[in-house]
Amino acid sequence: MNKEEFQKKLKSYQEPLSVSVSISLSNYFDAIKQILEDFSSNKNLPVIYISATIPSKSISTVLDVYGVDSKKIFFVDCISHIMMSSTAYSERTVFVESPTMLETIMLKAQYILNKYVTGGSVIVIDSVNSLAIHNDMKILSEFLHLFVTYLRSRGAYFVILSMKEQSNNEISNILNFVSDEILEVE
Amino acid sequence: MDKVRERCLTGIEALDNILNGGVPKGNTVLITGSAGTGKTTMSIEFLVHGAMKGEKGLYISVTEASEKLLENLIVYDFFSKEMIQKGIIFIDIPEIYEKLGMNKLQFSMEDINLLIENIVKIVSEFNVKRVVIDSITSICYRLQTEEKIMEFILRLSKALSELGCTTFLVSELLPSAKGYSQYGVEEAVSDGIILLGNLERKGDLLRTLRVVKMRGTSHSRATYVLDITSIGILLVPLLKGGGEMV
Repeated sequence: MNKEEFQKKLKSYQEPLSVSVSISLSNYFDAIKQILEDFSSNKNLPVIYISATIPSKSISTVLDVYGVDSKKIFFVDCISHIMMSSTAYSERTVFVESPTMLETIMLKAQYILNKYVTGGSVIVIDSVNSLAIHNDMKILSEFLHLFVTYLRSRGAYFVILSMKEQSNNEISNILNFVSDEILEVE
Repeated sequence: MDKVRERCLTGIEALDNILNGGVPKGNTVLITGSAGTGKTTMSIEFLVHGAMKGEKGLYISVTEASEKLLENLIVYDFFSKEMIQKGIIFIDIPEIYEKLGMNKLQFSMEDINLLIENIVKIVSEFNVKRVVIDSITSICYRLQTEEKIMEFILRLSKALSELGCTTFLVSELLPSAKGYSQYGVEEAVSDGIILLGNLERKGDLLRTLRVVKMRGTSHSRATYVLDITSIGILLVPLLKGGGEMV
């Protein structure tokens, strides 16, 4: 689907659900912007952004450039430590030592929800492919199943990003299993 | 279906769920694990949540001065100095030893009786409902024989349980230990065992928790991963990715 159709689709979501969004490297930041604008700005929901692809600091910088209001965006950054990037304290960012610490990712998301969020929320996983680089598929499937099921029971929307260029059958099977809808953005 | 026994909520939501509604009231629970696994934090949180509900707590510190311990607690959102002062009594055991003239390295049965009487007296006097002894291993060190350790824990547990007290005994384990306690006796006479550990997986070190035994309730015996946060202890199930408990 094109940009407009994607925007329309995001707007149509009124009840919590789990959606996988397949994007290409060329529209990576555009897609993130659209997702965050729709859920955070339009639906006024707090976002927990799990960054396993690039450090949260870089995403924050891009969002600033795009003019996306990031007051309600919290980061669970599981890539900065492993990349030896700076991990300066910020109230809206918690760091996980490595993308292999999947349980810790769940714990940090739970921490943000318990401490800062009342009501609905959106969890963005960026991306399933990055997590697949660091974890075997069995534990990754188990993680996504538990994480999605648990947080959906708490009224959370789930957006799982998947990079078209790095996908394979195993990843597609996992996404089919945990997603209510799979969207392909051109 | 369990015959429902009155529960003492630890206030750690996930742990209370694992225990199907909390620790059965009056139980003596061994909180056991090696250094840095979260035993003291869990025990303090248990007392703080009790204090928040108006249940008086008693923390008997054997290894660390309680003043130093309190300094480390300020990082918690649920910590309030006033509430702690009103709701929890902190006692450093050397003060009790000194008061009772227990200066020997090895305690006699008489000493044991004196110590139990003294703890029970404090519990009765202040209507304490939650007790933590941190650590029981250090007291056991002075009891030395299995018979004396058994006698001490059994008699203390019985007396505290009769007063409606739920007790956490913190037990120190070496990472290489096979059982659940240093002397092997503590685990046999306790009503419950909560094992805290470190799990090494692909170079990551995860804190873990498992309820090994808990009399008076059915419970999960699965392993959970634990995080110590400013809002208290959080737990999620351990993903089955391999690795051994350390």
